[in-house]
Amino acid sequence: MGHTSALTQGLERVPAQAGYLVISDGAVLASSGDLENDEHTATVLQGLVATALGLRLPRGHEPPFRRLSVVFGEHSLLVTVSGQKLFVVKRHHHVQEPVAV
Amino acid sequence: MGCCYSSEAEASDQEEETKRLLEPAASPPNKVLNGAEQSYHNLPSARTDEQAMLSSILAKTAINIIDVSAADSQGMEQHEYMDRARQYSTRLAMLSNNLTHWKKLPLLPSLTNQPHQVLASDPVPFADLQQVSRIAAYAFSALSQIRVDAKEELVVQFGIP
Repeated sequence: MGHTSALTQGLERVPAQAGYLVISDGAVLASSGDLENDEHTATVLQGLVATALGLRLPRGHEPPFRRLSVVFGEHSLLVTVSGQKLFVVKRHHHVQEPVAV
Repeated sequence: MGCCYSSEAEASDQEEETKRLLEPAASPPNKVLNGAEQSYHNLPSARTDEQAMLSSILAKTAINIIDVSAADSQGMEQHEYMDRARQYSTRLAMLSNNLTHWKKLPLLPSLTNQPHQVLASDPVPFADLQQVSRIAAYAFSALSQIRVDAKEELVVQFGIP
């Protein structure tokens, strides 16, 4: 697992992260936390990214987006692509605690 | 395949056959089968039916499963090994030229050079999410209000005398 530590070190340090996936050529290279061994999520997100990459607005940016967020109630899955690899991180939403006055 | 067998003789024939087939293979399945065979002969007839069925299932499984770890591997000399490796890679090269439908998936465009930074940066502002949800809700509502507004008869008669 030594060669994947460079990939995953940065992901470990993402604030409020509760797990991550690194996917290459359809295979999970590394996974952790809530996303550990989650091949199903990996597959679904690959499909999502592939579809999203095909969406082009007239006069839109190239590539069309930098990061894809799948937002749930308590957490989000954030996805990006770099060097032929998909990086996914699960982040908890920052909950603003009410300030006692 | 079926689980029933018609006679004791048939069952014992089958076991003889499987015993011969299994001999050259790994010993563990054979050992178990021999044990089962022995008990087949020793048990009272009430249990031999079940025992014979179990033995035949075991035998069929043993025939269908290859125990790779138990297989004998003949040692190969270094030059034989290299020759074969070269042979295989040549064949692979030939095949990969012909197999067009095995082409790699289209390359993913790189969205960023700094994936960790991109994933660590601020999440999408909640206000933006609310706005997009609102817009989507309006669009859905508008779509659901698309109706056909029938102003005239769809079918008309031409003045055919």
